Amino acid sequence: MKRNALLLTALCMTVSLAMYAGDIKGKVGGASGVSVVWVEAAPGKTFPAPEKHVVVDQKGLMFIPHIIPIQQGTTVEFLNSDTVAHNVFWISISGNKKLGHNLGTWPKGERKAFKFDNPGVAPLLCNVHPEMAAYVVISPTPYFAESDSSGNYKISGVPDGSYSVTAWHEGSKQQSKPATVKGEATVDFTLTK
Amino acid sequence: MNSGIRSGIVTAVAGVSLTAFLVLLLPQKVDAIPAFSRQYGTSCTTCHSDFPKLNDFGKAFKDAGFKFPKDDETFLKVQPTMLGAPAQKELWPKTVWPGSIPGLPPIGLRYNTFFQVVGKNRGNLATPLGGTIPRTDFQPGYFSIFTAGNFGSDIAFWVDDDISVAGANANGSLGDGYLKFVDIGRFARMPKDSFSLKVGQFELDLPFTGARSYNLSGYDIYGQPNIGTPQQFVNNNLALGDAADGIEVSGGHNYGGYHYSLAVVNQNTSGSSASAPNVAPANGVAFASDSNFKDLYGRFAYRFNLERDKASRNDVQAAGAMGPRDHTSIRLGTFYFYGRSVQRILGTSGAAVVGTAREPFYRVGGDFDFHYRQFNLYGLYMYGHDHDVLPVFDETGLLTGFSRGIPATIGGGFIQADYMPYPWLMTIMRWDSVNSPADRINGGPYNSTRNRFTPGVQFLIHANIKASVEYQIQPQYVYLSTTGQSVPFRTNIAVAGLEFVY
Repeated sequence: MKRNALLLTALCMTVSLAMYAGDIKGKVGGASGVSVVWVEAAPGKTFPAPEKHVVVDQKGLMFIPHIIPIQQGTTVEFLNSDTVAHNVFWISISGNKKLGHNLGTWPKGERKAFKFDNPGVAPLLCNVHPEMAAYVVISPTPYFAESDSSGNYKISGVPDGSYSVTAWHEGSKQQSKPATVKGEATVDFTLTK
Repeated sequence: MNSGIRSGIVTAVAGVSLTAFLVLLLPQKVDAIPAFSRQYGTSCTTCHSDFPKLNDFGKAFKDAGFKFPKDDETFLKVQPTMLGAPAQKELWPKTVWPGSIPGLPPIGLRYNTFFQVVGKNRGNLATPLGGTIPRTDFQPGYFSIFTAGNFGSDIAFWVDDDISVAGANANGSLGDGYLKFVDIGRFARMPKDSFSLKVGQFELDLPFTGARSYNLSGYDIYGQPNIGTPQQFVNNNLALGDAADGIEVSGGHNYGGYHYSLAVVNQNTSGSSASAPNVAPANGVAFASDSNFKDLYGRFAYRFNLERDKASRNDVQAAGAMGPRDHTSIRLGTFYFYGRSVQRILGTSGAAVVGTAREPFYRVGGDFDFHYRQFNLYGLYMYGHDHDVLPVFDETGLLTGFSRGIPATIGGGFIQADYMPYPWLMTIMRWDSVNSPADRINGGPYNSTRNRFTPGVQFLIHANIKASVEYQIQPQYVYLSTTGQSVPFRTNIAVAGLEFVY
């Protein structure tokens, strides 16, 4: 009896929270192709790191996928599916060179994991195949989304409140805008090179 | 000796001696293959450390017949055009075996241009060369086209041709042009990659390529003929770096383990200037061997892998802590060339051949190639020996027979050290040494041994654009003073080159 009451209480709390959560949507312009938009962290709020690992493949001399949006604290597994040796490194995360890292070399079929504990954008490179590139976009919150190829995005489940929302696109300057979520908010971006 | 013959030989000797110096002034041709970059969507640095210098992966790519050593099809960004469905193989011999051609014409182009500064005492060279050598000089180099790839069934091809040399379209010529049937030993259940066949025109399987060298100036020993003194009847213009026509079987790998090759090629004692056709050209083909004899060339090398990491020791590249790199290794090799220099003696009344001297000759040598991270040290020594078969004339000038003279010998080689502090910067130091007493006697170098030191540096502006500079500290040569004395002099040369491939 007591257990059922607890479950009911938890269910009510979840439903009430969902009632006060909304979406942030909009369009990222000024650049063609996929962009990533995320909600910056609000002071005092922390989010548990996801347990699920994200896999980045290296196949046909390419990183797949090319853009990898993750939440801060996510572990990314780098798989080599090629019959040639690869290397993964990034010289910085959002310009901070102290956060650069080189994972070394590993053969086909093997993986190397790395936990991205700092928010920002890590440009992935391979030192023997300089044409290979990918971006790990590390969002400080679980509220992030990848746009479609036209730039349209939608971040769901953002609790009501005031936030700073940031848009990133490969080769463009990152841009942040304020957003107030009250059920729904629209934030459009026009990025510049 | 018949004076007519003698004067002819002396003219040839003088020509060759001066040519040897002129070659130093002409920058080297090099080749890299941007056609592969297009097909695979990858940078030149996948195969080259400083184009056209191959890294271990590039060597494996070439060994495999211009393919990725494994799972080639998964790397191709431009799919090949099929010349028959793969299922057609089941119908053979009732159908043509299906092959393929590259989806894009695998064409690469290359152009280079040079600037040269010659030592102040260059005037000593001007007289024998018949002109004035400017202190500084700009000069266009090669505009070349090259194409290479794989036709399926492990049949590789390569053709390169200089469309223009030194600004003159007429000077171009075919470099290599061949088909290579890779690993045909598989049909006889031989070990993998132990037997391949190459047919056409190609550079001999030299320890270090001269035709595709990344140096501005060539290795002196590769261009060294064996002419003999005026007292000898030796006039062998064969240079090891010359292109050869024939067939070559080979096996093993250039990036690890054993490697061998054995070639049967036309005799070419005329050097780079081709002989006249033996028969009237028909259907565009003129055969122009120097003789019936076919020369033989063989090479064997073994590359010892010194890599400590057992896991990647057998891979194409080592698993470095900061990314894949070439293995730490040392390769030891040897080569041997055997031929017969045929010299025909013409009568005084016309072109009729009154006698033929067949002079066996050989070139033998050894080489090493050491790699450690960004450092590469390699070298080669070669010894050359030509029998001297002297014609014997009676007092009326008639050829009565032959006698054995003193053999003409040459020797020498080079040692080169390369260091790449950055992936775009290579520093070079080379020592070339050639010993030819005949060259000294014939008038040219001051000493029998010519030493040349060549420091250099190369910058990759992009992966396909390179700037190179080298300073050649030349050996001493001599000129005749007004009093008839031989005066030694040294004329050093600085050469800068700018090159791009696309």
